[in-house]
Amino acid sequence: MITSHDPRMNRLGLPDAPATAAAKQALDQFETYEVFHQKKENAAYTYVGPVHAPEADVAFLFAKEQFSRRFACTGLWVVPTSAITVTAYVGDQESAYDTLPPVATGTGPEPADTTAADALAHATDEEDYDIFHLKKRGKAQAHVGKVRAVSPAEALQVASAVFGAMRPVVNVWAIRSADILRSDDEDRDIWASTPEKKYREAISYKVQDRIDRFKNEG
Amino acid sequence: MYGSASTHDLPTNAPTGLENEDPTLLAAFEARIARGEKIEPTDWMPALYRKQLTRMIEQHAHSEIIGSLPEGTWITRAPGFRRKMAQMAKVQDEVGHAQLLYSAAETLGKTREEMLVDLINGKSKYSNVFNYPTPTWADSNVISWLIDAGAIVNQMANAKGSYGPYCRALERICAEEAFHLKYGHDAVVHLATGTKIQREMMQAALNRWWPAIMTFFGPSDKMSVHTEILMRWKVKMATNDDCRNQFLDMYVPKIWEIGLTVPDEKLAKNDATGQWEFTEPDWEDFKRVINGGGPCNAERIAVRRAAEENGAWVRRALSASKTERKYVQPLA
Repeated sequence: MITSHDPRMNRLGLPDAPATAAAKQALDQFETYEVFHQKKENAAYTYVGPVHAPEADVAFLFAKEQFSRRFACTGLWVVPTSAITVTAYVGDQESAYDTLPPVATGTGPEPADTTAADALAHATDEEDYDIFHLKKRGKAQAHVGKVRAVSPAEALQVASAVFGAMRPVVNVWAIRSADILRSDDEDRDIWASTPEKKYREAISYKVQDRIDRFKNEG
Repeated sequence: MYGSASTHDLPTNAPTGLENEDPTLLAAFEARIARGEKIEPTDWMPALYRKQLTRMIEQHAHSEIIGSLPEGTWITRAPGFRRKMAQMAKVQDEVGHAQLLYSAAETLGKTREEMLVDLINGKSKYSNVFNYPTPTWADSNVISWLIDAGAIVNQMANAKGSYGPYCRALERICAEEAFHLKYGHDAVVHLATGTKIQREMMQAALNRWWPAIMTFFGPSDKMSVHTEILMRWKVKMATNDDCRNQFLDMYVPKIWEIGLTVPDEKLAKNDATGQWEFTEPDWEDFKRVINGGGPCNAERIAVRRAAEENGAWVRRALSASKTERKYVQPLA
């Protein structure tokens, strides 16, 4: 049995030479979600990293713990990684919109009659998409705005028209807005406790007085 | 804490495999790094780059999660409520760092499941210093201050590396470490400037930890072919000797100013060269410990394994109602 300085470890009765652990089953550590945070009111939501979780609500809790624990945060979005449509990454001086496949205009047969009814049907299929840009490799994707489209591919095309003038754009993410779990404005008090935990701040530890006193006494 | 990831990569003559890479892609990859641009997960990269980074980030993640154990053990016995809260916050940070780093390693293609099993089976390493025990509160304080300080030296260097996801993780980690360093320094100063018994306890802990601290940055780098390539690719940002020297420059004076001594008669700065001179660490013993022969290797792994195995039913229960499940590698 393992013997430790810590009596709690001893109480676990852990074996000295356990058998080799078997490989874990796929998804033992769950699916991945990507997390965006808002540093202060009205700032753009910015990518902070992934978490592993079995569902969006749990992902939100993990994300809150992981990414809002230590520094100011006023909002959090979580999205299943599988729900994000990603363009190619280009160089720091280029635009990822230039890598989109050309829009198929005039290549196929024109619709026989584009009636107002068809246009309306198209409009009702449209949904909001949130668009994120990466400005520089190694930095983080930041929210630039919303577009309406019927598919992620179309959302990128629309985004190219709306936001394409912004440069540089190293990489673009498009996310159907309905796929994002967002912190609720009326729950904003969940962010209030972070600044109270002064013992987590470097600035709370002031040792110089004690060192100086010690030196003077010495 | 604990970014001593490159420490365990002893000089090797293994083939680089570069002759099998597409020369055009390789040239573009190297040109991007030379321009100062970061590499992102979907970019083309040489197999050696992917392999070395995966290993390095994974080892770093394991070091965080195992490194939280020797301090974690002191949470309930930390003197006073405020220190208990602070010690707990620090340990939580370290586990959070492991989460960030595992995700960064995942973007290179190794799953979290594989990494966790490789840790439990001793196939992947973690920083060797955590194979030593923390018999007193002062030992825990030495880790909080000086091991974290060593890790910050490494991490600040690595944060300037070429791989985007690792840089992003390290940026957040370094910001959080500022508290650890101050907290650890405060705790050490408190004992070192306290009563005779407190001073003796702190000195004894420093004496126990000093040899491990000196090995923290790894053996002297031999300029092997690998070292040269990895530095060109900005995987390795500073030599082990440079990191060690920087650490000694920054912290030996701070140790001395609070009346503690360093248990090495040869330790002195050579003002002509700017280099510290010291007794060469016992690298044979280092190898013995890293290969499983240290006082706490078995305990660290066993505790991590127990946590994994005892938590398995919770993970199963959380996923039980889900029918459609598919792993997607994190994006960035």
